[in-house]
Amino acid sequence: MSGSFFGLNVAVRGLFAAQRNLDIVNHNLNNINTPGYSRQQAIQVASRPLALTDGTGMLGTGSEVIGVQRMRDEYLDFKFWSENLSYGEWSVKKEILSDLEVLFNEPSNSGFTAIMSNFFDSLQELAKDPSSAAVRSLVRQNAVTLTRFFNNLATSLEEMQYDINYRIQTKVEEINSLAVQIQQLNRQIYITELSGNAANDMRDQRTVLVDKLSKLINIEAYEVVVGYTPDGKEDKHFVITVSGKALVDHFTVSTLALEQRDADHKVNREDIPGLYEIRWADGNKLTVKGGELRGLLDLRDGNEGSVNPDNGLVSPNYKGIPYYIKKLNEFVRVFARAFNEGYIDLDGDKAFDADEFGTGHASGYGYNSSQTGIRFFTMTGEGRQPMSTSEFLKNASGLEGIYDAYEKITAKNFSVSADILNDYNLIAVSDGLGEAGNINVLNALLALRRNTDMFSEGAPEDFMKSIVTIMGVDSQQAGNYSANQKTVVDQIVNRRLSYSGVSIDEEITNLVRFQHAYNAAAKMIQTISEIYETLINKLFV
Amino acid sequence: MFCDTLGEVNIMRITNNMLINNMIKYIGNNLTRMDKLQAQLATGKKIQVPSDDPVVAARALKLRTDVAEIQQYQRNLKDARSWLEITETTLSDIGDIFQRVRELIVGSDSIESPEDLQATKNELIQLRTQLINLGNTAYAGRYIFTGFKTDQKLLDENGNFLVEVYNSEQISYQIGLADSINVNVLGGDLFNAGTDAAAGSAGKFIQDMNELIDAFDTADYSKISSMAQNFSDNLDTVLRVRADVGARINRLELTMNRMLNDITNFTRLMSENEDVDMTETIMNLKNEENVYRASLAGGARIIMPSLVDFLR
Repeated sequence: MSGSFFGLNVAVRGLFAAQRNLDIVNHNLNNINTPGYSRQQAIQVASRPLALTDGTGMLGTGSEVIGVQRMRDEYLDFKFWSENLSYGEWSVKKEILSDLEVLFNEPSNSGFTAIMSNFFDSLQELAKDPSSAAVRSLVRQNAVTLTRFFNNLATSLEEMQYDINYRIQTKVEEINSLAVQIQQLNRQIYITELSGNAANDMRDQRTVLVDKLSKLINIEAYEVVVGYTPDGKEDKHFVITVSGKALVDHFTVSTLALEQRDADHKVNREDIPGLYEIRWADGNKLTVKGGELRGLLDLRDGNEGSVNPDNGLVSPNYKGIPYYIKKLNEFVRVFARAFNEGYIDLDGDKAFDADEFGTGHASGYGYNSSQTGIRFFTMTGEGRQPMSTSEFLKNASGLEGIYDAYEKITAKNFSVSADILNDYNLIAVSDGLGEAGNINVLNALLALRRNTDMFSEGAPEDFMKSIVTIMGVDSQQAGNYSANQKTVVDQIVNRRLSYSGVSIDEEITNLVRFQHAYNAAAKMIQTISEIYETLINKLFV
Repeated sequence: MFCDTLGEVNIMRITNNMLINNMIKYIGNNLTRMDKLQAQLATGKKIQVPSDDPVVAARALKLRTDVAEIQQYQRNLKDARSWLEITETTLSDIGDIFQRVRELIVGSDSIESPEDLQATKNELIQLRTQLINLGNTAYAGRYIFTGFKTDQKLLDENGNFLVEVYNSEQISYQIGLADSINVNVLGGDLFNAGTDAAAGSAGKFIQDMNELIDAFDTADYSKISSMAQNFSDNLDTVLRVRADVGARINRLELTMNRMLNDITNFTRLMSENEDVDMTETIMNLKNEENVYRASLAGGARIIMPSLVDFLR
């Protein structure tokens, strides 16, 4: 025997090892619901054996716990980050497009279709009784309802754009805050691990932060070996990059900054002023490729990748708020030109050509009126007051000037002209002076409803139908992608939980197992103690 | 160190939080489906927003436009028929006047005394006034024979045209997608026997009446009997116009019947497109409810016990 108390030492090691294991079980059970927690295991080994000098070989010296490791499959983390990115983008798109659908309120009995039907129905009534004050007043009222529909819709869309802009601000602040927290954890983890200990719990916390970040913006997160520490271990730095540039590099952090676009740098003509451009705080350009931020940017700026003719800026290739505002603007301009001037752009050259004119409101006479040239639809001007025909065409010279006047109409300022609002008898129906029953002009206006040359999508109602369908298809697609992506993410979360999650049954089993080991070691001490009792007290007294 | 052997035998390690997460997810999915069915039952519509089914949404919009248009055409048809019916009644009255004039012409042969001749003349004057009044018939405040000048009378008290009415001034009502009907009878066509009416002059009807009245006044028997042919022609004019109006009313009625079919068809299409099948939806909801109950019951069993509960 090597030493008198050798056996006691071995047994005490057993006690300690069992106790350490019980501590870990305790820790695991306590953290069962901690987000991102990975279960931990003791690394238990047989302690270094003694070489016996008499040639009988090696004598075991019991066991010891040499470390604590966390059970983590890092491949699943990488997988989670890349799938979560896409989930973030589509879930945001789905949410905003759903709001958009509610805004358009179709199919219903109070949306555009109903309003347009009411307007044309009242024109039909006017056709049957062109001199009736009641019907004329009805036509005017329904026309006002039609213009208000576009005003309200455009205003709501602008409000949505404003809200999305605000959300972008919040997300950028969140990204910056996460980056700073990760950088602080990097420092703590690095310092802890420098002394040779695994910083299990802090690593879990850091992964939780990266998980959050991965939903917001496209990131790559990895540890790089930059050299070796004095004691020969790999010197690892944790780095997070966004589109190739480091957001967090070990102990340093580069934040993102928001800059309000000035009037010359609007991505779309339709944009409200003061939208944020996201840059690196050091002034570099940032490309956002995915995540919630991409989804928000696509919906705030998306205009099918069209180029802003004012400054050459390219919008994201998605149908976002500016796309819908642009389509509504197109609708009111084309519709107003057709209704007022009888003009249909058949060859698509965006200019008045002689053969493209039919009969419009401007060529007709109202009731008891000798005036022609009255435009039915104009826009609101200063003080949001509806313009009269003369105000609307004040600086318009020639056909080109008249064409361009309509380019100033937007869905937001679309209005019934002041002339009509002041005197409904100016609603033109007749192409003959003083002919109260002549409805030749009105018939031409009524025919516009079915004029499939008006838009490339077809007649006016086809155009709006196409907008609603596009929105429905996009929203459905976003919903499907988001649901699919959620399933993928959930699956990875499950696999993570399967590998890293705490199982109560397992821990309780271990609890019992280590309790038994502890008891066994204690019994060993008791036995050895009895041996000494016999040896010391009974033999040599 | 204890081994993690589960991976090697290829059995997924199931942890408590996996069970809980999955249970929450499954119950959430059940509720989402129930919510959708509930919305369908409450609104009676298959879709609430276009993304539920963009194809159904697009068709719904199209059919709404179609139905709204047909309903407007139906209103136009009714109004056109009223206008034409008033016209027909007026034409019938004018026909009666000419019948009476012819009877008076034929009866004039046997009138000997100048007093009797004067009495007939007075009746003719009354008939002429009636004819003028009929020429100024209005429908809903609008004069029906004045072409586009519906706000002006056709004839003055002497029977002269007050306005020019060209035979091109046809008022049409739209009664279908590419279908319209001319509702008015032009003053010239009727009162001036097919030619335009010129303001200030008297049309053929009134001229003939005036000549006849003159002939009675002067007891010019040969003139009176020669006028018989004129009034026979006038009656033919009235009958010609009346036959035309009758044909138009017939066409309106045919179109009305067709519209009635159309509206039924389109409403049915609309309903097939967007309305829910209540029976099916209620069955589905009931089915979902069973699934929901089952998953609640299963969930309750699964999250309850762990080994702790069995170690005493």
